[in-house]
Amino acid sequence: MQYKSQAVAKPYFIAAIGLFVGQILFGLILGLQYVLGDFLFPAIPFNVARMVHTNLLIVWLLFGFMGGAYYMIPEESETELFSPKLALALFWIFLVAGALTIVGYLAVPYATLAELTGNNLLETMGREFLEQPLPTKLGIVVVALAFLFNITMTVLKGKKTSISIVLLLGLWGLAVFFLFSFYNPVNVVLDKFFWWWTVHLWVEGVWELILGSFLAFVLIKTTGVDREVIEKWLYVIVTLTLITGIIGTGHHYFWIGTPEYWQWWGSIFSALEPIPFFAMTVFAFNMVNRRRREHPNKAAVLWALGTGVMAFLGAGVWGFLHTLAPVNYYTHGTQITAAHGHMAFYGAYAMVNLMMISYAMPILRGRAANGNKSQVLEMWSFWLMTVAMVFITLFLTAAGILQVWLQRVSDTPLPFMVAQEKIQLFYWMREWAGVAFLIGLILYIASFFAGGDEKEAA
Amino acid sequence: MRPSDDDFGYTEEKPGQALAVLAEALFLINLLLLPGLAFLVLAGLWLHFRQSAPALARQHLKQATLVSLWGGLLIVCFAAGIVLAGGLDWEYTWVALILYFTCIHSTLVLFGMYALIKAMSGQVWRFPIIGPRLDGDA
Repeated sequence: MQYKSQAVAKPYFIAAIGLFVGQILFGLILGLQYVLGDFLFPAIPFNVARMVHTNLLIVWLLFGFMGGAYYMIPEESETELFSPKLALALFWIFLVAGALTIVGYLAVPYATLAELTGNNLLETMGREFLEQPLPTKLGIVVVALAFLFNITMTVLKGKKTSISIVLLLGLWGLAVFFLFSFYNPVNVVLDKFFWWWTVHLWVEGVWELILGSFLAFVLIKTTGVDREVIEKWLYVIVTLTLITGIIGTGHHYFWIGTPEYWQWWGSIFSALEPIPFFAMTVFAFNMVNRRRREHPNKAAVLWALGTGVMAFLGAGVWGFLHTLAPVNYYTHGTQITAAHGHMAFYGAYAMVNLMMISYAMPILRGRAANGNKSQVLEMWSFWLMTVAMVFITLFLTAAGILQVWLQRVSDTPLPFMVAQEKIQLFYWMREWAGVAFLIGLILYIASFFAGGDEKEAA
Repeated sequence: MRPSDDDFGYTEEKPGQALAVLAEALFLINLLLLPGLAFLVLAGLWLHFRQSAPALARQHLKQATLVSLWGGLLIVCFAAGIVLAGGLDWEYTWVALILYFTCIHSTLVLFGMYALIKAMSGQVWRFPIIGPRLDGDA
């Protein structure tokens, strides 16, 4: 480890992995509830399990982003972190706030939670992915601003590189677009319109910049390819992301009451959204193919290549599958959306965080890379989780196509719950693929304790 | 030496590298943007240069053209088979058809990306399973 203050990344990574486990356990509970409707009812109703599953995803990814930034920025800026103490304090504040929120979801009915947490003062709750109580939302803003202050001050006092500037742009964007979660107009069209400014402009906008900068950083370190070459690829990826992603928000405006022209704008620009992911895959493989050194951390390189491919498939291909307005007319809100969501989140954001953790954790533990035994275990976990996710996506896609046919295309359309009965086979198969994913995750955690012949000290 | 401003990690280091990159780019354009039209250009290039181009370009032109043909056949024939076997009014026809098309098409695109990277690095590469055998001079 080049800078002592990089060590603050470690608790963030550990918390991220812990919350990831929670997300997957709730995913399995949800998967069972799709086929055994009263499983764990009334202790954990479906809507609560879903909320916990998606919120844990967001929170562990944010922990990963913050940990990654705390690790990367000192090295890029060639200086110690502005305030490691602030970073540690924020870690505990964020962890406690996140844990209390999850306990709140599970312990009391959602409406009671809203009452207890002052939702009547400023009504922000009740919207998908932004279900957090007002104090949690305010906490996120405070933590995000203090985190950005810390990171920005570090960059300002040190060297400015393209990679750190792109990361800052992504992180500031993340904070700014979260502010729209506080705007909850009575008019449902306006509500939905601006709700997407948080949700879409995060995952198909500024988060992609964070992904690009993390990927660029790890590729520079592991391949030894010239920084100038990697930075130029990064510029292209950032440009493509913003050009396609910002107006691509329109693919959420097809059916919410906005003017019809959004069907054109949304279709055209979101059809272009796979391009940055295409570029990212070519970028990652090209850099590894032209590597000038054999980095001992093979697992990190595998995650770097994997994130390119899986993000292209999940976000690019599966996104394109249902993004054109005439197709989306039939597929909107079906299991096809769930298939896309699963593979895109895993490929783009879970994998990039795992890549960063895979690269940084051994160094934070005092070695350049883990021993062979540990890396083999990690690579097994990579393949198990990735193949399981491919199958989860395929089964959900099959369920979605069937659902669309039975419920929307057929001359005698079936009611929603009847159609759900008919696609249970695919839900069962998805559940078993989910179990395989969990086994992969357990192997991933086991790889941290495998020991073996550690590579030279970092 | 500091790379120039238009250096994206690709410089023509071997004879025929630009043509090899063009071949793989046309392979991808045929799959993603202009199906048929891009293939015609690709096939035309292969026919024109198959004797005269440097070995690297010849290999990539041959791989890209023949895999486009095989890929096209795989997509069209099996898709037609699925439709003929199940009929358009059966829901499982659409499940099989859409899943098949998405998987085979994505696989070809991913292989095409890898072939493009190999061409950019001045290396020959044989597409798995359906790629023609590499010539001895590669």
